[in-house]
Amino acid sequence: VTGRVQRIYRTALALLPRDFRERFGEEIATFADDRLLAARRDGALSYAVQAARLFADLALTIPREWLAGRADANDRPEDNMDILSQDLRFALRGLARRPAFTAVAAATIALGIGANTAIFSVVDAVLIRPLPYVQPDRLVLVWGTQGTQTNQGVVFADYLDWRKTNRTFADLGAFRGQSVNLTGGDTPDRLVGAFVDAGFLRAIGATLERGRLFSESETEVGTKAPVAIVSHEAWTTRFGSDPAMLGKPLTINGTTFTIVGITVPSMPVPLFAPTPDVMMPIGYYPNAHGLDRGTRGISVVGRLKPGVSVAAAHEDLEAIERQLAAAYPATNAGTSADVVALKEFGVAQTRPRLLLMLAAAFVVLLIACANVANLQLARGASRTREMSVRAALGAGRSRMARQLLTESVMLSLTGGVLGLAVAFGLTKVLVSLIGSQLPIDEHTIAVDARVVAFALGASFACGILFGVVPAWKASRTDLTGMLRSRIGAGLGHVSTRNALVVAQLALSLALLASAGLLTRSLMALQRVDPGFDASHLLTAQFRLPAGKYDSPDKIWTMFDRTVHELRSLPGVQSAALVRASPLSGNGESYPATIEGRTEVAASEAPQVQVNSVTTDYFRTMRIAVIAGRDVNETDRAGALPVTVVNKTFADRTWPGQSPIGRRVKFGDDDWRTVVGVVGDARHFRLDEAPLDQAYIPHAQRPQIFTSIVVRTAGDPHSSVASVRQALWRVDKDQPIWRLRSMDEDLDAVTTSPRVMMWLMGIFSLVAMLVAVVGIYGVLSYTMSQRTQEIGIRIALGADARRVRRMVVAEGARLVGVAVALGLVASLAATRLLRSQLFGVEPRDGVTFLVVTVVLASVAILACYVPARRASRVDPMEALRTD
Amino acid sequence: MKRPETSPLTPLTPAVLHILMALAEEDRHGYAIAQEIETATEGEVRMGPGTLYGTIQRMLGAGLIDESPKRPRPGEDERRRYYRMTPLGRRLLEAELARLARVMRVAQDKRILRGPGVA
Repeated sequence: VTGRVQRIYRTALALLPRDFRERFGEEIATFADDRLLAARRDGALSYAVQAARLFADLALTIPREWLAGRADANDRPEDNMDILSQDLRFALRGLARRPAFTAVAAATIALGIGANTAIFSVVDAVLIRPLPYVQPDRLVLVWGTQGTQTNQGVVFADYLDWRKTNRTFADLGAFRGQSVNLTGGDTPDRLVGAFVDAGFLRAIGATLERGRLFSESETEVGTKAPVAIVSHEAWTTRFGSDPAMLGKPLTINGTTFTIVGITVPSMPVPLFAPTPDVMMPIGYYPNAHGLDRGTRGISVVGRLKPGVSVAAAHEDLEAIERQLAAAYPATNAGTSADVVALKEFGVAQTRPRLLLMLAAAFVVLLIACANVANLQLARGASRTREMSVRAALGAGRSRMARQLLTESVMLSLTGGVLGLAVAFGLTKVLVSLIGSQLPIDEHTIAVDARVVAFALGASFACGILFGVVPAWKASRTDLTGMLRSRIGAGLGHVSTRNALVVAQLALSLALLASAGLLTRSLMALQRVDPGFDASHLLTAQFRLPAGKYDSPDKIWTMFDRTVHELRSLPGVQSAALVRASPLSGNGESYPATIEGRTEVAASEAPQVQVNSVTTDYFRTMRIAVIAGRDVNETDRAGALPVTVVNKTFADRTWPGQSPIGRRVKFGDDDWRTVVGVVGDARHFRLDEAPLDQAYIPHAQRPQIFTSIVVRTAGDPHSSVASVRQALWRVDKDQPIWRLRSMDEDLDAVTTSPRVMMWLMGIFSLVAMLVAVVGIYGVLSYTMSQRTQEIGIRIALGADARRVRRMVVAEGARLVGVAVALGLVASLAATRLLRSQLFGVEPRDGVTFLVVTVVLASVAILACYVPARRASRVDPMEALRTD
Repeated sequence: MKRPETSPLTPLTPAVLHILMALAEEDRHGYAIAQEIETATEGEVRMGPGTLYGTIQRMLGAGLIDESPKRPRPGEDERRRYYRMTPLGRRLLEAELARLARVMRVAQDKRILRGPGVA
């Protein structure tokens, strides 16, 4: 705890004026450390008190030093601060006199500020903060487009033409990420590799701690040189920070590279988080076809010339692409290029989610502010006399308003500091939940000076927001009227207070409706049948080194032996290899050509998700074979090329006819005969529309990358070690990674919607609670002001039930208005949710009905408490009070 | 009566007065100043670091104190800086205490307050 308080304190010191901070910052921090250390010996309470004192002292010092900085050297800056510090002392005293009020109000604000700050810390890191490159605004990603398909890889040959003829880029660079196999150590290891060219390193402004970057000649295709750059992190964790690392050999994918450079710590690399372990010349990219014209394989990053816009660069490349299409119609017809700012990439999905969460947190804060404003109004009403006396003694109205405002701001700043503590914890929880889904390195998310500034700024604004109405009201005190009598005091505030409560309830309803829709959406998502049985499945991946496995024969022999090893493991019911296992993120699509149909351009052809599988894949996954046969042992290399298609593909391509025996071609593969039809399986996401899918026998087209799927009798995790050993019995140098159960993958694809649902759920419940406390407070207050009236009613014969009904009816009137407004607000709010919903409409009637009933019942229940109290008013007592 | 040259600066703010008194005996670092003040006032005045160093900054500017050549003892935090009173600071403190003593005498004469020896 000590460390955390000290960290927050040190961070907050950043708000002091620069000169002062540079001169005394260290000493102030040391002082605070000493105080906290001493207080710690006296127990937790004294520690907390001391921490609060330190922050209060800092909160006073910050404005004082800013004012002092502007004052003349001979001035006594204390004078500038006199009125303020007098107000502050007065405010502190006022707050300390009402500990219950202060605690409730500060806690409410702390919750609101904490939630906002935590989400802001993520929003800041993902959407606001500039990327950690030199002049990041000039960095762009270039994608290929084909017909209507965007975000495609780039053809290497096209890229070379762009480099030659473009007029808008200072640098263009090609890269391709792929895990690589490191051998030579005790066990084979998997590294995250990036195959790059010299232009890439220049464009991103790569900086090294030691050694040199790649030269232009080392990264040209055909003249590849075996050199490698290792990341600082890999250097320290894998190579023990060996000072003589440069010049040492590194065996990757069977080739020996010489290390020529080590990057600076956490060097940013586009699309990689964290930094890839090792970078090699792009000529070593293992897929032999990856660099030919007509094969989309690489990613391209560019640095724009100064002053060039993204749109201008886009036009430039499009013009070049048009020339290429004319020159190479066979491969380049219908293709073009797309340029996007690096900053924009990856945030398209995250942005609406984060902004929605921020908006929800903001609404919670608004509701909290309304609550505190209401509490202040109630206090303001009971302080009318005090104010009248002060006014009579000559205090100016503005001075009195200012005094009250100071009190509000002090209160909300206290809440803000507490909220920062909440934010620290909440940010950690948030990052652990959604960190892996974000397009940035999650370790860059922290409660830093900007976030602290946001929290304090937001608290300050809150203080003004909920302080201004009460202050204004209090300063309009009618002198003579108020001093004369107390009857009816404060009733003038009732309409304002009612309005605030109605607003709170209405906003809560909008949040509840959003939470309800997200819950229904998640339920729909979890009801989706993925098309396979995810339980008891273990998956893993490996990639063979292309140098060692340089023929389809060698690859298939290795795969075949691996499958047999896996099937002989105890506890394994069945096992298979599949190139891209479902929900792993892997998968590739090709344009399909159907025999007997007029051939269409590749960009117009139906895209089919093509996967390679061994025998037993469908049995292992429990995907039903609907017609024809499974892939079997006869589907060898050299035998008739065959394929198994899914139901969607069969129904769309040959509606009402049997697909068995028909022939199709995927990309430039062989013509394949359809021998079977299987059920649909979700591949990339659970909420995807059914894809056209085809499976081809692994034996007929073995490629170096594949995945393992194993159905186990018991917990799949207990087979992790034996699966790894089985692979190593076939090749002891072969790394294997991503060993996880299919249940984990299934879980991972629902993480984002789940976190959204929980956050929205918690926000809406907090909002409802605060709003309900609000209506309870208002009714209690109104009733206490109307004790006399109620006493008279009872004296005149109204029975308890009637009094109760009267009070509840008054509450119900407020709830009714709130629900009507809330439904309108909900309709507006839930429209923003549309993109996040699956299987439920934004205007879902059931959801709206349920949340309305819940909110209304809870709110009316809350009215019942003051109603009971009112019905027990003793008429004699009531009439006796003045 | 001869007016001391320091009179435009008096009366001192409580913070300045307490810091000068804490530095009258020996050179101290910030935390020690605050501790001394707390002890001397029996816990009534507790100065936070912001208030303390804000005041120290202005006292340095006015030439009432300056940095002492004294260094932390071994084992102590090395970032600590010590402060000492300048001759101007000492004169100012004396002038202020004399002024306060006059105020006290008046108060006792008027029997507003019972001073030592009067009871």
